[in-house]
Amino acid sequence: MLTEKKLTRKWGTQLLFTGPTLLAFICVIIIPFIYGVYMTFYKWDGISSSMPFIGFDNYASVFQDSKFWASVWLTIKYVAASVLLINVLAFFLAYLVTAGIRGQNFFRTAFFSPNLIGGLVLGFIWQFMFNVFLPSLGESLGWTFFTKTWLGDETKAFWALVIVTVWQYAGYMMVIFIAGLMSVPKDIIEAAKIDGTSGFKQILYMILPLMVPSFIVTVFLSLQRSFMVYDVNYALTGGGPFGSTVMASMHVYDKAFQRFDYGVGQAEAFVLFFIVAIITITQVYLTKKLEVEA
Amino acid sequence: MKKLSLSMLVLVFLLVISACSNSTNNGGGQQNGQDGGIENVKITVLNSKSEIHTQMTEAAQLFTKANPHIQVEVISTTQDQSPVERASALYASGNPATLTMLDTGDIEKFADKALDLSNEKWVSDLAQQFLIDGKTISFPFAVEGYGLIYNKQVLEQVAGANFDPASINTTDKLESLFQSIEQAGIVPLYIGSMDWSLGNHLLAISYATQADTDVKGFIEILKQGNADLVNNHAFNGLLSTFDVMKKYNGGKDDPMAVIYEQSTASVAKGEAAMTFNGNWLITELLKSNPDGQYGFIPVPVSNNEAEKANSSVAIGATKQFFLDKEKSTPEQQEAAKQFLNWMVYEAEGQDFLVNKANVIPAFKNIELELNNSLAIAINEYNLAGQSIEFAGNFVPGDHWKVLGASMQKYLADKTDRAGLAAEIEEYWKSIQ
Repeated sequence: MLTEKKLTRKWGTQLLFTGPTLLAFICVIIIPFIYGVYMTFYKWDGISSSMPFIGFDNYASVFQDSKFWASVWLTIKYVAASVLLINVLAFFLAYLVTAGIRGQNFFRTAFFSPNLIGGLVLGFIWQFMFNVFLPSLGESLGWTFFTKTWLGDETKAFWALVIVTVWQYAGYMMVIFIAGLMSVPKDIIEAAKIDGTSGFKQILYMILPLMVPSFIVTVFLSLQRSFMVYDVNYALTGGGPFGSTVMASMHVYDKAFQRFDYGVGQAEAFVLFFIVAIITITQVYLTKKLEVEA
Repeated sequence: MKKLSLSMLVLVFLLVISACSNSTNNGGGQQNGQDGGIENVKITVLNSKSEIHTQMTEAAQLFTKANPHIQVEVISTTQDQSPVERASALYASGNPATLTMLDTGDIEKFADKALDLSNEKWVSDLAQQFLIDGKTISFPFAVEGYGLIYNKQVLEQVAGANFDPASINTTDKLESLFQSIEQAGIVPLYIGSMDWSLGNHLLAISYATQADTDVKGFIEILKQGNADLVNNHAFNGLLSTFDVMKKYNGGKDDPMAVIYEQSTASVAKGEAAMTFNGNWLITELLKSNPDGQYGFIPVPVSNNEAEKANSSVAIGATKQFFLDKEKSTPEQQEAAKQFLNWMVYEAEGQDFLVNKANVIPAFKNIELELNNSLAIAINEYNLAGQSIEFAGNFVPGDHWKVLGASMQKYLADKTDRAGLAAEIEEYWKSIQ
């Protein structure tokens, strides 16, 4: 009797706390996902009353869509550049603001704040920077590197996207790194100091291996976020110039909502999901192996 | 602890309740009760020109004053919401608007939901017919057109007080006009680098000026992959004109940096004589110079003076209403038809179209004077029959973006004519 009562109470508490989240998760993630997969087997423009079943034809179109694969390849290059730069810069910033410099709390807030601005707004702010501010700066100082807008050149527009992404996420990852740095046991560092290790060697042999758990999180987050980038892409370059910076998400969106080819768009989204899932799972698995005990 | 969880439960409960009550509110009120013999009808209008929401609401009130048994509710899309997105959301929720305003190119998608309006009186008063499967299923709300917009003051100063845009009817004549403007120390023109302008407007001229077929026919040829663009007369003619435009483009050193606002401001202030755009530019032009007068020069596609396209601008109804037949009752359909007739034939309705909403009406019987120089010019071309099809109305939804990017490449000399032709052909072949 008593145990049964306990059991229902336990379930009740669980439901009370996880229930609402679970419900929301099922409603907005799981059901649309399943419905999305279902839609990949049909041909539909989003409006028409007829929605014929076409089997795997949509997937066949995905593999023939050269622009999709071009956008995936571009996204991979973008992810590689962003993930590397975000983590290096974030670690450097975290190290800096925990080293005990003056006003470090202020710097922590300042570096974190870009992350509080939404990607769309960020995109528009930086569009102004690249289109107006930097060219006029370049003109008055005679730096030819800046005189033409970066967003009008394919390569520079790509790097503009990377710069804005790094600027947006470095502060966020920095916070995670700060927590990691704080948890590095002081005795190890002290012992290293007594033995006369240089600062650089301390980082390389003591701090970095002990911070692998932080890296797992930051690399995962930056990987996943840059793979799915849409807002910055939309607001900063809009896929331009000459359609050269259309990332995978934007391509999928355009397919479904500009050309009204829901089936193929969904199929491409699913393929993209698959790619991202494989890459992030591999990353987490591999980096877990690097973890060490202090 | 217990108190907290209880209050949370209550909160969740309240949320559910409020969500439910909201939906019942929307569901009801479709039709009101009897009133003095005539049944009260309520219709909804989905307006996708968000900038005229207030005017449209006022018009609906005026209409109700004249027809007390009909209530008109106006809902508008937001600035950056696509009309199709909103309309399909309303259909998905089983609560579509009686009248839905869409971009013309999207009407066809809703063809199986739209009522046949071929027998309405206003069909015979249309300046241009718009048929889908041989039927009129939509009511053209606003006519728009585009070409080379020129500043009248500047061209009269350069080419004499009686400058006539009709005198520019070949590519060569356009080039000599550019030359004389340049000699006068004025920038001949700015080509705005916007992808929608280059893709759906400029490039689309070549679809509308084919010698032996109309836009729909040519699009079929493109889809089948049978359009040999490199040897196509209209395509080459258009690009030759585009080459001339590029040569005299004020922003040719950094063509991608010429944006909408800047090209417009230069023309309005008289720093440049022309730009390629449509009559909607007037709002932006008047911002920089409230007293400016402007006109249209057609974009020539050959050196043959007799070719119709060289003296015609591209004109078409870009916003159209369709009447829902799936969920609307016969009474609502009648009321909606009455509302459409009111705009075309009643003084108050016409006043709304022309003076309040500032659109160019699609009907020959409306004789109100339009209130800006660009609208007047388009209207004159339209009534004189000097128009080619607004081909952007017939292309898929991503045409402006994909082929706009290709046109930008050509503008910035990143590709040549053969490369551009190949990209256009490839795009069309990918459309099923």
